[in-house]
Amino acid sequence: MEEMILKLKQEIIEVLNLEDIKPEDIDNDAPLFGEGLGLDSIDALELIVLMEKNYGIKLQDPAKGKEIFKSINVMADYIQKNRTR
Amino acid sequence: MARLIRCIADNVVSPLGLDSRSNYDSVKAGKSGLARYEFMGNITTPFVLSRMDRGVIDALCGKLGIKGNYTFFEKFLLCSSVQAVRESGIDASSERVLFIVSTTKGNTSLLGQPQDGVADERVLLGKAAHEVSRFFGNPNSPLVVCNACISGVCAQIEAMRALRSGRYDYAVVIGADEQSPFIISGFLSFKAISDEPCRPFDKERKGLNLGECAATVVLEASDEIKGGWELVCGAIRNDANHISGPSRTGEGSYLALMEVLKECRREELAFVNVHGTATAYNDEMESIALYRAGLIDVPVTGLKGYYGHTMGAAGIMESILSMYAVRDNTVLATGGYREQGVTYPVSVSSEVRVCNGSEFIKLLSGFGGSNAALLYRFVE
Amino acid sequence: MERRGLDYVVLNQGYVSVNGRVIEHEATGNALLTELYRNHIADWPKFFKMDTLSKAGFVASELLLKETGERRLDGEEFTSGCAIVLFGATASLCADRNYQETIRDKDNYYPSPALFVYTLPNIVTGEIAIRNHWRGETSFYVLEAPDAVQMAFHLACAFQNKTTESILAGWVDSSRNDDFQAFMTVIRREDAADTDWLAGQLKQMINILNNK
Repeated sequence: MEEMILKLKQEIIEVLNLEDIKPEDIDNDAPLFGEGLGLDSIDALELIVLMEKNYGIKLQDPAKGKEIFKSINVMADYIQKNRTR
Repeated sequence: MARLIRCIADNVVSPLGLDSRSNYDSVKAGKSGLARYEFMGNITTPFVLSRMDRGVIDALCGKLGIKGNYTFFEKFLLCSSVQAVRESGIDASSERVLFIVSTTKGNTSLLGQPQDGVADERVLLGKAAHEVSRFFGNPNSPLVVCNACISGVCAQIEAMRALRSGRYDYAVVIGADEQSPFIISGFLSFKAISDEPCRPFDKERKGLNLGECAATVVLEASDEIKGGWELVCGAIRNDANHISGPSRTGEGSYLALMEVLKECRREELAFVNVHGTATAYNDEMESIALYRAGLIDVPVTGLKGYYGHTMGAAGIMESILSMYAVRDNTVLATGGYREQGVTYPVSVSSEVRVCNGSEFIKLLSGFGGSNAALLYRFVE
Repeated sequence: MERRGLDYVVLNQGYVSVNGRVIEHEATGNALLTELYRNHIADWPKFFKMDTLSKAGFVASELLLKETGERRLDGEEFTSGCAIVLFGATASLCADRNYQETIRDKDNYYPSPALFVYTLPNIVTGEIAIRNHWRGETSFYVLEAPDAVQMAFHLACAFQNKTTESILAGWVDSSRNDDFQAFMTVIRREDAADTDWLAGQLKQMINILNNK
């Protein structure tokens, strides 16, 4: 899981162009949206693409993303349970 | 003396008709061009689209004498503008005529699907627009307005200003977009497209539909208007909030509305033709802007349920249909609407309504935080 | 009395100057934009999400507005008096090509919303409006090539809107990630009253851009 979380953080940093942020800067339990990383609605959509492209998880309803992208831990947990690749 | 701006000719080419009158009659009768598609190109997600039959455009080109190696987008622009220019009777080859093209993506489909005999550079909007002005033998460099979904209103505003300056006597303002997999896949990635016919302002709305249309207005600068349409004023305002999400307080639309209301005679305002895309955020935002501008009781109507979102054409086609509606003392029904689904209950209806008044406002908003409004008045 | 010339910035993949003063730099291409951001701006991480057209336009606007001391607001303050009117020939072609790559291959079809949003060239005007809290007019016009007379005409036209006090105006192009050209200037109402003078000023900026 540890390894997967690090990989996921690196993927997020890359696809969202979080240039000045390192994996260790992202708290596993802190909210991904709102304060902190300064992510917005386009970032949320881009995370949906990331889930499909890298883990084969199709998310039709963007509202569901709100729950899944709560924190790195929640997101990693969801991916672990639902991944098809 | 300030020059007055008059609309002397118009045309709409769409799946609902090949001229403005037939489009208006179709919409009034409740006809819609929307249809469901299961796939297109590499797209495998279903979506609803109002698509122009390519064969109909080719046949119309033949009838109108439009020959040459043109793309679908260029043919679309020409089919509409040739008809409008003929109706106007102007000499479009004069240097006193300015061509303005409103589009968001022009020939972008060439990136995915090059066309024999069409140079790659035609993907540039200026080059595509030049094909149109060249067809008419117009010597001026055409202007392309590329302001996302508000382009059609911006193009009319810029035409109005160019005519007021005195440098030109006529402006031919043409708007169109081709709905290629490029645009459709993009809006799908935004989760903004509904797989059902869209339902503007409705409680159950779940997104927009895209659509294809080409529309033209020919505007003239004159000292006096009798028995005709005057383009009174327009305004463009930015939300300064987010590049894709509309302002939660409807800031830009509110500011644009307030600006055109300065010239509006409120008792003459027949209706506001809104953007009404049927996305959750857009319609909510518009209702807030209308409320803040004191327009909550003014009839509101949207045309996306008949045409989908026609992008570069929207501001022009929706203005033209509004002119026909005002002359017909009619507020067109908002296709797809059933039950109020916005915080501020604007006066929207699924039925055709009767109205009085000689003025209407056309409102649009789009990506980049852009918003625009314009005011037309019929002068007896 | 000789009128003072307009403030301006000229920027391309290997050159950047403010009012003719060359700004020293090491990088070229897209990396130049990042270098300029880090050395002269540094407080707007959204920069890294932008496409090349927006990055070029944003950097040019920042360098220029620092020079002119134009009204830049934050917090709850906004103004409608400052407009943004930009011109270009390529429009969003660079972003179009990048987005097209994400949908080209059936087996690797993952359309990117973050790339798609930049396939509208007016996004750069929105980015600058957001940064400075400007709620005025924003417009993007496409011409076949930079034309000082035509640009001056349309900029003068923009002042027909009485709310508009000044316009951040310029040219921005990018057809590839490492290839961009921009110049930017601030025009006030009185500058646009003499359209010939304005066209002359723009012509000088176009010449510098073409010769670098």
